[in-house]
Amino acid sequence: MSDDVLLRATDIVKSFTSRGKKLGARSVATAVNGVSLEVRRGETLGIVGESGCGKSTLARCLVQLLPVTSGTVEFNGATLTGLSRRQMRPHRREMQLVFQDPYASLNPRRTVGDIVADPMRINKVGTEAEIGERVRELFATVGLDPASLRRYPHEFSGGQRQRIGIARSLSLNPSLVVADEPVSALDVSVQAQVLNLMADLQETFKLTYLFIAHDLGVVRHVSDRVGVMYLGEIVELGEAEVLYEKPLHPYTEALLSVVPELNDTDAPRRERILISGDVPDPSDRPTGCAFHPRCPVATAVCRTDKPAFVELRTGRFVACHHPRNLDA
Amino acid sequence: MLSVRDLRVSFATRQGALRAVDGLSFDVGSKEVLGIVGESGSGKSVAMYSMLGLVRDSNVTISGSVKFEGREILGLSDREMQSVRGGDIGMIFQDPMTALTPVYTVGWQIVEQIRAHTDMTKQQARERAIGLLGEVGIPDPKSRVDHYPHEFSGGMRQRVVIAMALSCNPKLLIADEPTTALDVTTQAQILDLMLKMQESYGSSIVIITHDMGVIAEMAHRVVVMYAGRPAEIGPEVDVVRYPRHPYTWGLLGAVPRVDSKNRRLVTIPGTSVSPLDVPEGCAFGPRCEHRMEICDERPVLHGPGDHLDACWLSDAQRLAIRSARSVAGGAS
Amino acid sequence: MRSFIIRRLISAVLVLFAISVMVFLIFFATPGVDPAARIAGRSATPQILEQVRAAFGLNRPIPIRYLLMMEHLFIKHDLTSYVNVGDRVLPQILQAAPVTLSLVIGAAVIWLIVGVLGGVVAAANRGKFIDPLIMFVGIAAVSVPAYWLGEVVNYFTQSKFHSSIFSWVPSSGYVSPTTNPWQWALHLLFPWLTLAALYAGIYARVLRAELVNAMNEDYVRTARAKGLSERRILLRHALRCSLISIVSLFGLDFGALIGGAALLTEVVMGLPGIGMLTYNALQNLDLPVLMGCVMYGAFFIVLANAVVDVLYAWLDPRVRLA
Repeated sequence: MSDDVLLRATDIVKSFTSRGKKLGARSVATAVNGVSLEVRRGETLGIVGESGCGKSTLARCLVQLLPVTSGTVEFNGATLTGLSRRQMRPHRREMQLVFQDPYASLNPRRTVGDIVADPMRINKVGTEAEIGERVRELFATVGLDPASLRRYPHEFSGGQRQRIGIARSLSLNPSLVVADEPVSALDVSVQAQVLNLMADLQETFKLTYLFIAHDLGVVRHVSDRVGVMYLGEIVELGEAEVLYEKPLHPYTEALLSVVPELNDTDAPRRERILISGDVPDPSDRPTGCAFHPRCPVATAVCRTDKPAFVELRTGRFVACHHPRNLDA
Repeated sequence: MLSVRDLRVSFATRQGALRAVDGLSFDVGSKEVLGIVGESGSGKSVAMYSMLGLVRDSNVTISGSVKFEGREILGLSDREMQSVRGGDIGMIFQDPMTALTPVYTVGWQIVEQIRAHTDMTKQQARERAIGLLGEVGIPDPKSRVDHYPHEFSGGMRQRVVIAMALSCNPKLLIADEPTTALDVTTQAQILDLMLKMQESYGSSIVIITHDMGVIAEMAHRVVVMYAGRPAEIGPEVDVVRYPRHPYTWGLLGAVPRVDSKNRRLVTIPGTSVSPLDVPEGCAFGPRCEHRMEICDERPVLHGPGDHLDACWLSDAQRLAIRSARSVAGGAS
Repeated sequence: MRSFIIRRLISAVLVLFAISVMVFLIFFATPGVDPAARIAGRSATPQILEQVRAAFGLNRPIPIRYLLMMEHLFIKHDLTSYVNVGDRVLPQILQAAPVTLSLVIGAAVIWLIVGVLGGVVAAANRGKFIDPLIMFVGIAAVSVPAYWLGEVVNYFTQSKFHSSIFSWVPSSGYVSPTTNPWQWALHLLFPWLTLAALYAGIYARVLRAELVNAMNEDYVRTARAKGLSERRILLRHALRCSLISIVSLFGLDFGALIGGAALLTEVVMGLPGIGMLTYNALQNLDLPVLMGCVMYGAFFIVLANAVVDVLYAWLDPRVRLA
């Protein structure tokens, strides 16, 4: 593993088994279906996709909060998959999560100071006094008043709570922060504050982000590289700028075309490509390319053959038989 | 079509009066799409619900005037209001997952509304329900009409809600965050459908949203609300391209874009003012970078032509601020 | 729906089997107890004990003993009481069951009607005088212990005013509906009311809370936006959805009462039902009868739960898939 890769996932599969509709039947839903990716040191890798595409499950598999069904995850040169809880401990400190719902992810019965201090207490880093000092420092870093650390989560607004969540995730000096929809519950003006804060922290602490969101604008704004997920698979991955300007996969192209835009310039609006229907049931995946039933350019081969995820141009990966925007 | 004048909604709470809507006035023309945009707590939904008598709280006080087709509807009796709701005014809600009663089929629920407002027979109403479901793009409406809400996806449920809202040929559709709970591809389908339906039914639409992008795609005119008060009102193009109120500047600058390069987002310092504690002067004053002494007085909506705003800045000051900002930030 | 019912019934049978095993183990496989003595009765001679040991296979492995016990209980019906040797267990239960069923079914009808009515009226008049009034009566009914209420009712109807306004009330006891339906109802009227009071109070309060919650749901807002009347919204939308939790509550209560939880009412009102039988067996440590009663109770509780789940699926289409 080269030095600049912090996390590497190879062919991750995660499936859930549930009772089927018929008597005695079992159905298997494949939430993540063979995802391979690398997260480089210091970058922000954005994962974007619609609800149910498996992006949150993927994140949980990557940080070993969920056991993978198959595949391997390497982190900092060590293989994480198959490690016991005890063996995972030192790695856990290195990767922290920021959750979507700032109302649900903080224990309402603990003071926010305790919430931020807990990871340090559990990992026994320093004395209680040192921890207290560090909590005050973290509060200042994320733009909260250190005087408020004896208060409870309900006394804070959504944006402030998300800052607390961020402070907690930073308390052990992680190298990787996995943020799962960290701003989707916030109003735009507050969302902007949190995004700017995350950008500042990345610079100050040399953090690596895996940033998961459904909002294409947010993902473009924060990411160096972006992976687009559809039905448990990454269908396209590449540098944010190029991917947004010249999407290769028809799904990416359609997705980008339908984001409501502020027409505040005279530039013509992207032509909208409406894709019909809904995302299929992950327990009943289409044959061939998972996107073919909704794809505007699908042909016979798409129904039968699953396209390989290949590097079509330097640093640009796509899984499609008929990639778009290639000539340009 | 709809004319709202000085609408005020306040709730008596233990901490004092909570002024959710404080002096809102706007008009909706025939076949017009009006967007009301604001962040949570701006009073945009409460304003619409209170107009229609959907705020059922014994502590609420509503004043002002709401005229629908020239007829005052504020203060109508429950019974009179019932014939307006669902008849001339249809509503679409934010969360299609919870907006339908879970224990009845979608057909039953549409038929129920049709029969409440017309004297169609059950069979006729059912035929109409099937027709409507087909119109809003539900495949195989003949069999889907007998399905329960949980058997539909989110996007399909929102189509059912739209079919229901249209079932009595309303003259006005009020859509409260109709796509917020939906994915972007589904959102595009639903917005598309709403515009199509508006064309074929000729109804006016009031769309309430927090997403400036949705406004830009849908609305002819926009009301920007902050803390229960209108901050800016004007044609969509003017508000998006030449916003006049500092709050609108912040709101537009804070949106990460899909169509332009990374830049630092404009942020509005602090958090939304509590509706229990709105300042006497400009409501946005405490968070405004360009606050002046006069801002302790409440600004009135004013402006050139039909583009109004509630801000004390002079045109010259605004021009100076905007040009300084575009040089510094490189933003639009 | 059919597959749902089949699945539910299969699981009910499995639960019953598990319960019978556990009851058997607790009663007859507890170390330190000689089960033969328990089965044979107080004045059993050594020969009889030996016979019992052979008949119930008490020297054989536990699974065989379990099967033999079930055979005696359900197939040969010759398990007899420990106290009154000769009285077989199963006929006693079969004799007591109709009494309990009459008592509980009649009371259930009353408390469902009163409870649902009370809950709906209270919810519809929220904020007015009648709402807290109904809720107060409800909490009073919940708080009064059944045995106390029963005694008070008995005192007024059987002694204090028995010669004046309550002269039409028969003395306590049970008359089979096949002998005289009118006397059956008359004998059970006050027991019904006594038992129903507690549950009517609970149901009214639970339903009111459910309705008040339901009236804040999004679908009720949609119903209002459709222009429906408040009355229709309350009855057709909110009540229909709230009934789901009432049904699950009812299943548990009804099953438990049939299974013997009406014991206090039966004892106070002098009704020879399952509760009374259990009560007497308990006092005498009559293990065979007790085991029969427990098995009988478990059977009804499991059955009632299965019926409730099927009802549930009928009321709430979302459950049918699960």
